[in-house]
Amino acid sequence: MIPTNTSIDVPCVHCGELCTGHIVDAQEHPFCCNGCKSVYEILHANDLCDYYQHDDHAGVSMRQRPMPADAFAALDDPSVARQLLEYSSESMHRVRLSIPSMHCTSCVWLLEQLDRIDSGVLRSTVDVMRKQVTIEFDPSRTTLRAIATMLTSIGYEPVVRIEAGASHLQQGGDRSAIRALYLRIGVAAFAAGNIMLFSVAQYFGASTMQPALITVFQIASIILSVPVLVFSASPWFRSAAGALRARRVNLDVPVSLGILVLFARSVADIAGGAGEGFLDSFAGLVLFLLVGRLFQQRAFDALSFDRTYRSFFPLSVRVERKQEEEVIPIEGIVVGDTMQIRNGEVIPCDSVLLGQCGYVDYSFVSGEALPVECTEGSFVYAGGRVVGAAMKLAAVKDVSHSYLASLWDSSSTRVQRSTWLQLSDRFGQWFTVFAIGVAVLGFLLWLPNYAIALNVFTAVLIIACPCALTLAAPITLGTAMGLAGRKGIFLKNIGSMLELERTTDVVFDKTGTLTMPSPAVRYEGRELTNEERRAVIAVAMQSAHPMSRAVAKALDDDATSSDACTVDDVAEHVGQGITGSVDGQSVCIGSHDFVHGEGAEQQTSASVWVSVDGRVVGAVHARPTIRTGIAAMIDRLRTRATLWLLSGDTDRDRDVFAGAFPPSSMYFSQRPTEKVDRINELRTERRHVLMVGDGLNDAGAMRAANVAIAVTDDAATLVPACDVIMRAHQLSNLDGLLRYARSMRRVIVFNFIISIAYNALGLTLALVGILTPLATAILMPVSSLTVIGVSVAGARWYARRYL
Amino acid sequence: MSVVVVLVLCSLLISGGFLLAFLWATKRGQFDDVHTPAITMLFDDRTPTDKP
Repeated sequence: MIPTNTSIDVPCVHCGELCTGHIVDAQEHPFCCNGCKSVYEILHANDLCDYYQHDDHAGVSMRQRPMPADAFAALDDPSVARQLLEYSSESMHRVRLSIPSMHCTSCVWLLEQLDRIDSGVLRSTVDVMRKQVTIEFDPSRTTLRAIATMLTSIGYEPVVRIEAGASHLQQGGDRSAIRALYLRIGVAAFAAGNIMLFSVAQYFGASTMQPALITVFQIASIILSVPVLVFSASPWFRSAAGALRARRVNLDVPVSLGILVLFARSVADIAGGAGEGFLDSFAGLVLFLLVGRLFQQRAFDALSFDRTYRSFFPLSVRVERKQEEEVIPIEGIVVGDTMQIRNGEVIPCDSVLLGQCGYVDYSFVSGEALPVECTEGSFVYAGGRVVGAAMKLAAVKDVSHSYLASLWDSSSTRVQRSTWLQLSDRFGQWFTVFAIGVAVLGFLLWLPNYAIALNVFTAVLIIACPCALTLAAPITLGTAMGLAGRKGIFLKNIGSMLELERTTDVVFDKTGTLTMPSPAVRYEGRELTNEERRAVIAVAMQSAHPMSRAVAKALDDDATSSDACTVDDVAEHVGQGITGSVDGQSVCIGSHDFVHGEGAEQQTSASVWVSVDGRVVGAVHARPTIRTGIAAMIDRLRTRATLWLLSGDTDRDRDVFAGAFPPSSMYFSQRPTEKVDRINELRTERRHVLMVGDGLNDAGAMRAANVAIAVTDDAATLVPACDVIMRAHQLSNLDGLLRYARSMRRVIVFNFIISIAYNALGLTLALVGILTPLATAILMPVSSLTVIGVSVAGARWYARRYL
Repeated sequence: MSVVVVLVLCSLLISGGFLLAFLWATKRGQFDDVHTPAITMLFDDRTPTDKP
């Protein structure tokens, strides 16, 4: 091992990150940590080192990844495994696993060669967009658990959740929906193309063609358009029928009406010898509508927007039963079980601490930045993360009745009906009434002449079909969603954009959202001599308390004094601090009262005080680091929306945000339920609330808000249910996103105007009685193409400006 | 005239064949993931000695 204070800017062979501090050496290759080294060794042993040739940053850094050996023990449980397996037979099991850390070509290469690491794997197939790997394995030669553990050992920890079993089925559903859409598009495109050839011949060559040939062409057109009517257009008929049965009218009603009339009139025209019919327009219309649907279906498959509390919990837990330790799925916990939770693991249910004191990090549940000290007998809530020594806990509630689960259930479910659907439905009602009104009017005007009157009636219904209108919103929003995704802003569906647009109030969470997830720790006070520094670090290292560790880290920033020295007379005072002496220097580290003595004036900042030989030398402060660009973003945002800060943390950082938020709109020490109440309060005032949060403590509030954005530092982090997942660095452009959403609405409205203009032109032709098939064949695609062009161009142009 | 009808039938048959091929491929899941194959096709084949 190379001494730790030598060169520190060597990139790790595995993960490519600079090796700071320790360098672990294997076969003369530098590694930043043992984790990376062991991955390299596994790959090396299996002759898979080509892995590093496909991408410069192939490896996933293994630093800070504590991985308990039995994390996947629950996968041995047949009932758990059954929920995960897609297919199982005697000789082959198939499972699809989500691997969030998959990121590059090398990942694909390695994950498709798993059979070289575990010979029980028969085949592994990667889906890079969904970040999934489908593994087929021989159950007699390997197990699900062995595969999950093996994946973890090479840096691709699979996300195995019971509900993921349910969601992969649901994703299978999505997949078949897309397939059905492709099938419909294929049929419609085939029919449209061929009918158009027949029609063009009739439009321009009818006078020179033999009548028999024209008949053949017309019959062929009808035959080709039947599958379009029956198969391709069926979603609109189904939706319209559903709406009518519920005594509602949506936008699909006039669309269906238009399609039906178009077909019926064409067949009637052809049968009666009155003309060539509108069948080319008919097939083209259905094709355009289907393309619009394709945009509407856009989704980010690799991300999960709907989570329940269950996804934040581990799969299994270690319990002691009948003097024996066993690993059981957490659903199996019964009240009274004694659980063992190790460092970094999440507590699955409300319980009472047995044995020594320990520390629990509730930052994810409550937003408190610092770990809480728990003593024997104290109550710990589900969702806390154990810091330091392992804890023994007695369950007092089962998983589904714990605080966290009840919090989840109590929060009101969001009204799922999105704004744009409401908008288009209302528009549909209005449009249907208008179209039928004009059609009847035209019919009455021409009345003595029944033939022309009927012609006008159907022509109006045909041209009034709001095809371009139905295309405007999906194509604009679908394109916008794709562009935002490239910037690291992922929308759940296209409706989320319009929800963002209506925002009047923005509510921010603090820890993890506006600030970095972990606070920056800094020493402030008298400059310490090297001996003093060494002594303080040595004493601080004696305690597992997170703040002591923070002290050691703050002082040991340049990693100069990590060599151990003996500490005498160590005494740890629970809840207060630690004392000890090194080479005759007595050191005292702890709370303000503990170091200064009782009664000294208290200061507010979260800090640990340090004294050497009885004299206070300084303190270590934990200050939140605000993400870059936040202050400027808030400044810009303030002119557009009312801003609120709801923090679960104490108000010691109030002054940091005083410039950004007015005092009356900052709330600290908010419990999750209080956050929900506050949002509901705003909503009863008919405000449109956008909640920006990151953790489980915001989950309730995010569900209560009209629209929710979850901020995440890396793709692998779990976020609560939300409408938008945003990379943390994009938060500084939140105002840009809201502006973009607004401009998208403008693009849609502009498109509405364009298509209404085309419709007006068409209606005039229809009412006068000169809407020929040729005019329709030109007008319909031109209006649709204009709308598509304007939508895509508008979304792109504004994206360059605002995103 | 009859020649045109024969040609129309031929063209419909051929394009119908392509349509069927498309429908078959879609149903078999050929379009489910269009990104990964683009990456994997560039990998070198495993040499026989690589196999365990």
